[in-house]
Amino acid sequence: MALVTVPVSADNLPVAASDQAPLVLPTGAPLPGPVPGRPRRGTATIGTLLLITADAMVLGAIAAVYLTIKDGAVTWPPHGVHVSSYTPTMITITAVMTAFSVQWGVFAARRNDGRNAAIALGLTLFLGVAIADLEWLTFTRTGFGFNAHPYGTLYNVLIGYHLLHLLAAIVVVLVLAFRTMAGHFSDDRHDALRAGAVFWQYSNVVWFVVVSVLFLASRHG
Amino acid sequence: MAMTDTEVESEQQAAGGPSHPAADLPQIWPKGTDHKFIGSLFVAAALLFLVAGVALSVLMRAQLATPDASVVGEHTYRQLFTMHGVMSVFLFLLPVWLGLGSAIVPLQIGASRLAFPRLHAMSFWVFLTGGAMVVAAPVASDVFHGWALSDPVPVKLGLPGQGPDLLLLGLVLVCMAAVLVTVNVIVTILQLRAPGMSLRRVPVFSWSIMVSGAVLLLALPVLIGAFGLMFVDRHYGSSIFSGFTGSRGGNPLLWSRLFWFGAYPMLWALLIPALGTASEIVATFAGRPLFSRDRAGAALVGVGVLSFAGWGSEVSNLSSNARPMFIIGALVVLAPVALLVLNWLATLRLAGKEGDREALRRNFTSTPMLWTLGMLPVLALGLAVSVVSALDAGRGAHANYWQVGQQHALFFGAATIGAVAALSFWAPKLWGRRLSAGLGTLEVLAVVGGVLLTVLGMLLLGAQDMLVHTATFSSGDDWALGNLIVSAGAAIAGLGLVLVLLDVLSSVLAGRGKAAGADPWGGQTLEWATTSPPPLHNFDALPEVRSGTPLLDLRRAQQFTDSDLTSEGAS
Repeated sequence: MALVTVPVSADNLPVAASDQAPLVLPTGAPLPGPVPGRPRRGTATIGTLLLITADAMVLGAIAAVYLTIKDGAVTWPPHGVHVSSYTPTMITITAVMTAFSVQWGVFAARRNDGRNAAIALGLTLFLGVAIADLEWLTFTRTGFGFNAHPYGTLYNVLIGYHLLHLLAAIVVVLVLAFRTMAGHFSDDRHDALRAGAVFWQYSNVVWFVVVSVLFLASRHG
Repeated sequence: MAMTDTEVESEQQAAGGPSHPAADLPQIWPKGTDHKFIGSLFVAAALLFLVAGVALSVLMRAQLATPDASVVGEHTYRQLFTMHGVMSVFLFLLPVWLGLGSAIVPLQIGASRLAFPRLHAMSFWVFLTGGAMVVAAPVASDVFHGWALSDPVPVKLGLPGQGPDLLLLGLVLVCMAAVLVTVNVIVTILQLRAPGMSLRRVPVFSWSIMVSGAVLLLALPVLIGAFGLMFVDRHYGSSIFSGFTGSRGGNPLLWSRLFWFGAYPMLWALLIPALGTASEIVATFAGRPLFSRDRAGAALVGVGVLSFAGWGSEVSNLSSNARPMFIIGALVVLAPVALLVLNWLATLRLAGKEGDREALRRNFTSTPMLWTLGMLPVLALGLAVSVVSALDAGRGAHANYWQVGQQHALFFGAATIGAVAALSFWAPKLWGRRLSAGLGTLEVLAVVGGVLLTVLGMLLLGAQDMLVHTATFSSGDDWALGNLIVSAGAAIAGLGLVLVLLDVLSSVLAGRGKAAGADPWGGQTLEWATTSPPPLHNFDALPEVRSGTPLLDLRRAQQFTDSDLTSEGAS
């Protein structure tokens, strides 16, 4: 019967190694295999997906508050509030475009096509900055303040929530674009890029939820 | 952040470099990203906040110990009341499980680290910042009344000053740190398990941490959203949670619903790892696998899923249509907990039948087992009381001390006792030393006895209909006996918890604890297959995993081979 003694390293122990009984693992099989700890593939993507789940619950809470207050309101939006749906539509169209461009980047990187991947991520960034710009414009043009009424507050909170995610996604994709140009990604190594793309897509999802809640949910009054 | 960690990994993979990534992280502070080190930082912070929370409760109970007392005024009492609740839940129970989970789970599943070590380190410092803000809040100015932060409801009107803002932002940071740790631990369980360890073979404690993490992942963000909107209301002068429903006002009924939608599952999520710990300890000291492991795992998942069904039972302004649904929700969540208790009892019974009764009896006096045995009556009492308070859900009588008793039995009592049991069980892996056995018995007696006294006193006061927020009472109220019992119990339990902290300090920091050795309890899972404390990379070699209890398999295989050899020698 094979006995494997695990050596006790003296460096990490507050107790002198000689005080510890050596650990003996009895076994019939070849034991000292590779030390595990190398993550399976897709770790970053799974982490991002879980983070997104949590994030969606925050968005859900805010949307639920909006819909509840709207439900109990006599007039909604309040008198004298007119919100144009022009810029939101433009943002939506641009967001759909980025959904394709960022995915183009991932596919290109998976085919070892660094040049196309960099172009795609650059285009994504350009469109993202354009969305951020339009969003800032909608902020300045609403004509009502942050605290005029709950509609104004939640309108700004919801759009600001998307803007926050968009800015985070822009930073993430910017870093990934540089890393693509440095040749970090290839057909068998693109987990980080995929995770970044998932986060970008999620920031688009946030926008679609915000638009649906603010503009598509039926108005009354 | 997330991506970079994996990249470091895959670059090594490409280069065929060293196998443990901790060695490749920046060497400014080599242990700064070690999951065991960060985990014990979480535990240490939680213990300090616990003692602070206990001190607050002792002050409160001093005020309520005798009729017409004026130890602290009503105003101070309200502040103490809020901070006691907030600190016990968000600054003790939450971080103690985050710390134990992130320190023990990688060891149990045979991983050398967490999936995102640097993110883990960041989470701790975010948590500590948030915790400091929460503690600083009442110093800055008056905070809300009650840990549900529900009073005053029109937040715009009351409470000037920076205190409430600090409290809200601090809680947001604490919850965000908790979400990050949770993501980290769940990804670790999904991605970094040792070869042979299927999801069904994940040890019960790790499983409970994963279930509780999944609940936290869905519940805490709701609280983050709620605290964030409340902050917007207060700081920018909007009126989402105040005013009346109308075109210019918000909805004052919203706050308590939003809060309890997140907080109710969160409280259950903080009990779930205590159930996992007890399962682990019972199985280890019974010397046999847990009775019907799969069912225990399913029961834990059941608690997690059903915990989302009963949040309305804490809300007093529900419509009468919704109430029956929440009564059922608050009742059904108790069933899987009861099922799990039956699993433990069956495990012990089978161990008595199969094995050496004498050894079993000896094992019963080990400190972790004493803690678990002490947890049983508290948990049973909590379940029984919960049945009554669930039936009473949403009614006026609900906000009396019966509810306080229920919460203290389940979440202060059982969850806290479970956390301390986990500390004494895994202290060897966290620090390489055992906690004191003699002091441990005293701690169990004080904490369990104190909690039982406190809860029984609270139930008596509930039956006499003393309201939750009562800050003083007169001798004519007939509440003197109950309050005296509660105060005495709180003092005893508080003393026990202070002893726990002193025990940790003297055994670990002063180095008086016995050196533990690799496997002091005859453990069944992988964390006992390495030295105490484990090296930075956790394992030099791993045994084969062919069941949920790999070390038990090895031990039995060895017994088998030994007896084989002796019988061969005889013939």
